[in-house]
Amino acid sequence: MPESDTKRQTFEAEALPHLDTVYRVALRLAADESRAEDLVQETMLRAYRSWHQYTRGTNARAWLLTILRHTFINQYRKAKRAAVEVDIHQIESYTVFHDVQETDPEGAFFDTIVDDEVLRAIDTLPDGFRETLILSDVEGLAYAEIATITEVPVGTVKSRLFRARQALQRQLYDYAVEMGYIQRREA
Amino acid sequence: MTDEPRDTDCMEVLDRLYEYIDGELTPERAAEVRRHLDACAPCFRLAGFESAYVRFLEARTRGQHAPAALRKKILEQLLLEGSSSESP
Repeated sequence: MPESDTKRQTFEAEALPHLDTVYRVALRLAADESRAEDLVQETMLRAYRSWHQYTRGTNARAWLLTILRHTFINQYRKAKRAAVEVDIHQIESYTVFHDVQETDPEGAFFDTIVDDEVLRAIDTLPDGFRETLILSDVEGLAYAEIATITEVPVGTVKSRLFRARQALQRQLYDYAVEMGYIQRREA
Repeated sequence: MTDEPRDTDCMEVLDRLYEYIDGELTPERAAEVRRHLDACAPCFRLAGFESAYVRFLEARTRGQHAPAALRKKILEQLLLEGSSSESP
């Protein structure tokens, strides 16, 4: 069997099962379908070319996501993202729970918000916060894995995730109020 | 955090709430948080709300899959690479 066949087989067995993950993360990083597809292709090609550097049976998902992130930073981040960024430091109050605890303590209003709106809101988070939230909440990675991929200490992952979740929660709440799904609490 | 004055225990639990929800605490720390939540109704309700929020985020964002055409393109790309990289 030619060497390239074995390489392709192991790549197909260990790397390709993570294609959906790579695609979802690319979509949120690039915030544009066609750019995301280019980014995924480039990532998978780079991964294949450096497949000899990957130790079989280790964390292929984290390895691919690291390559994805580097590819994005090197080639795509320069291009201006279309989405308007939310100013994450403007988020003052902690948790919309205090706004809804009397009317909707279990957060039923979240269920009125469609998937697209959630994704759109995620796209407005600043880069570092967005990628942390995607890796945690969209892909379910552990804090330590996210720290490795994004090259920051675990404490930074923790504080970014906290802020990103709170900013997103506030945005979704404002959206639900605007759409009339929930009444804003009288001050 | 201006809504209700809380004691130090509450503040500590709030600080660790997402770590608790995400299963990132050591068993000992998690047990401390759970003990506090069992004893403190406002924190218990907040924790329920935040857990629902995190579950909601997960449920609403994991539905997208790589298009079949993209998968096909990548497989074709690999085939091309394979044959072109035979000679080092």
